[in-house]
Amino acid sequence: MKVKIKTNLWSGIVMGAFSIIMLLLLPTQVRVPAYDSGAPSPRIIPAICLVGMLICAAALIIQSLVFKKEKEFEFDWAVEKPCILMILMLCVYTAMIIYLGFVIASVVIFPLMLFYCGERKPPIYIFTVAAAVGIFFLFKFVFHVSLPAIPFLGG
Amino acid sequence: MGDIQMIIQAVGMVFSPLNIAMIFGGLVLGMIVGCIPGLSVTLGIILLLPLTYSFPSADTAIIALLAVYVGGMYGGSISAITLNTPGTNSAIATTFDGYPLAKQGKVKKALDTSLFASTFGGLFSAVLLLVCASFITKLVANFASVEYFSMAILGISLIAGVSGDSLPKGVLSGLLGILIASIGMDAITGVTRFSFGLDTLKFGVDMLPAMIALIALTQVVQKLRDFVVSHGKLDDANKIDNEGLTLKEMKAITPACTRSSAIASILGAMPGVGGGVAQFMCYNECRRASKHPEMFGKGSLEGIAAAESSNNAVVGSAMIPLLTLGIPGDGVTALLLGAFILHGIQPGPTMFTKQGVIAYSIILGCLVANLFLYPIGMLLTRAVAKIIQVRYTYLAPVIIMFCFAGAFAATGNTKELVLVAAILVFSYVLVVLDISSTPLMLGMILADIMEMNFVTSMMSYDRDYLIFFKRPISCVILILTVILVISMIRINKKVEALNKAQLEEMQKEHEETGKPSEEPREKGTDWAGLEKLDEAAEKPVESPADKPK
Repeated sequence: MKVKIKTNLWSGIVMGAFSIIMLLLLPTQVRVPAYDSGAPSPRIIPAICLVGMLICAAALIIQSLVFKKEKEFEFDWAVEKPCILMILMLCVYTAMIIYLGFVIASVVIFPLMLFYCGERKPPIYIFTVAAAVGIFFLFKFVFHVSLPAIPFLGG
Repeated sequence: MGDIQMIIQAVGMVFSPLNIAMIFGGLVLGMIVGCIPGLSVTLGIILLLPLTYSFPSADTAIIALLAVYVGGMYGGSISAITLNTPGTNSAIATTFDGYPLAKQGKVKKALDTSLFASTFGGLFSAVLLLVCASFITKLVANFASVEYFSMAILGISLIAGVSGDSLPKGVLSGLLGILIASIGMDAITGVTRFSFGLDTLKFGVDMLPAMIALIALTQVVQKLRDFVVSHGKLDDANKIDNEGLTLKEMKAITPACTRSSAIASILGAMPGVGGGVAQFMCYNECRRASKHPEMFGKGSLEGIAAAESSNNAVVGSAMIPLLTLGIPGDGVTALLLGAFILHGIQPGPTMFTKQGVIAYSIILGCLVANLFLYPIGMLLTRAVAKIIQVRYTYLAPVIIMFCFAGAFAATGNTKELVLVAAILVFSYVLVVLDISSTPLMLGMILADIMEMNFVTSMMSYDRDYLIFFKRPISCVILILTVILVISMIRINKKVEALNKAQLEEMQKEHEETGKPSEEPREKGTDWAGLEKLDEAAEKPVESPADKPK
C-alpha cells in the first residue's frame, strides 16, 4: 500500500489546527498569577509561538494551494511497517520498564524485536540478555543510578 | 585574571589523567558511531551525555563530548573508504576518492590520508578557536539581557532559516520547540503551563529525553527498519592492507589540507553551515587548485585530504560562535549547547570572564583531542573498521537500552521514560510531515535562555516591549538577524546548487568511464531529518569510480 502525502499542505493543516486548539486552551491552561510580580505575563511566550506557528501553517497552505509548491512523501506501508512496529514495541518497553523493571522489560522486548528482525541464532539472544543485566549493574554500581526494578532483581 | 594565566591553569586541567582518559574514550566512541552508516556523531554525544553527570567536573564532561565529535568526523571516513557508504554526511566527498583508492588495494593509504587530513584540519581550526575566542568575547563583553535575548532570536532564526528545504517549516519547528520547552512550571511566576492536569507534564519536558527520542532513538529505529527491509544483508568491506602514507605523500597533500582547512574554518563559523556543506566547496576548490585535477574522483590523495580536513576543520570553527556568542551552528553544536546548559555552563561572552578557565580548558581539550586523534587513529582504525561488519542487531538493543537508562538517569524519574516514548511517536509524525527536528531541538535548548532574558529585560525596563529595538546593539542584532537569514538562505541555495552540479558532474564522468553504478538501497522515511544525516548514510554514494565490473 502506497500513499502520497502532500507534506506542505498537511503540515499546514495539522499544525494550524494544533495552534488554534492550543490558542483556545491558552486561557485555561496558562492562568495569570493572582498578584503582579512585575514580570511579564506567563502567556506571552507561548502566545507568540502559537501565533507564529499559525502564520507559518497558513504560509504552508498558501504555498501548496496557491503557488503549487509541494513536497510529496511516499508512505510505503511495506517500508514503514517495521518502523511503526518498532516504535510500538518501544512504547510497550517503556510501560514494562516502569511496571516490571529494566531487566525484565529488556529481556522480554529485545528478543522479540530480534526475532522480528529475522535473527534465529542463539548467541545474539544470549548477548542481548547479558547486555541488559550488564547495563543494569553498570548504572547501579558505576554511575550510582538504580534503574527501575522489582525487589528481587536489584530494586 | 588575564588570558595567559587562565590558559596556563587550563593546561593543567586538560592534562589531568581523567581528562586524558576521557579524550581517549570519547575519540574511540566517536570513531565507532561515526563509522557505522546510519548512526552519527549526534548519537555518540547523546549516549555519552547522561553518563557525564557522574563526571567530577563540567569541563571533563564537555571535553569528552568534544572528543566524540572529533572522533566521529574521522570515523565517518572509515566506512566511506572501506564500504563506499559514508558513515556521516560529512564524509560523502571522501567516498569520491577514498573508495576508488581502496578498490586499487590501497585501503591503508586512503585511511592514513584521511587520518592525517582530519588531524590537520582539526588542529588548524582548534588553534583558530583559541586565537579568536578571547578577541570576539571582548567585542561583545557589554551585552545585557536585552542583547542576549536578541542573540537567542538570531541563533534560532538562522538555524530555522537554513535547516531543511522550507523556511515556514523550519520556523514552525523552532517555535514548536520553544512551545514544548514552555510546558510545565514557569520559573518566575510559578504558573503551570500546558500541563493538562498530568503529573508527567507538570515539571516540564526535559532536554535530555527529548534529545534522546528525537535524535538517538529515531536513528536506531530507522537503521533497524533498513535492516528488516534489506533482510540483514551486509555490504562487503575492503580488507585493510599494510601500505601506509609516506612522508613524501604527506608533504604533497599538505597544501590541499591547508586550503581546505582554511575554507572550512570560515564556513564552519557561520551558523547553519556544517561539515556536510563545507566538504563539497573545499573539494571543488582543491580540485581547481590541484596540479593533477584529472586524478580527482579516481583515487586522488588530495581529494581525500580536501574532504577530510574540511569536515574536521568545521568542528573547531563551529565552536567559535557557540563559545563566544552562545549560538550553535548546527545540530551537533546545538546538542553541545544543551550539554553546556545541563552542566551549568552558559556559553557566551560571560563564560570567558566568569568561567574563563573552564572555557579555555574546553578549547584546549578540543586541541588535544585533535592531537590525539592521529596516534589513536593509527592504533585503532583497523579494529574500529571491523565494527562495520558486526550485525546491527547486536548493537541496536544495547544502544536502545543505554538511551532509556540514560533518560532515566537524568532525573531518576520514570516520567522521563514516558516522555521519551511520547516524543518518539511525535517525532515520527514530524517525519511524515517532512518537518526537520533540528530547529525544534534548538528551540527547546534556546527557549530557557530566551525567556529568562526576556523576563529580566521586561522587569528592568518596566515592560517596555520596544526596548529590544530601542537599545542600539540589540536593534542592530535584530536587523542583522533578518539580513543574515535572507542571505544565508541564498548562500545555502547557491551552495546546494553547486554541490548538486558537482555530484552530477561526477556521475557524468563516471558514466563516461562506462562503469556500472550501484543501485541505491530501498529508501523509506528520512527519519531523523537531522542535518540530512541519514539520507547520506542510507544509500551508497554513486562515486565517480564505483565498483568495477
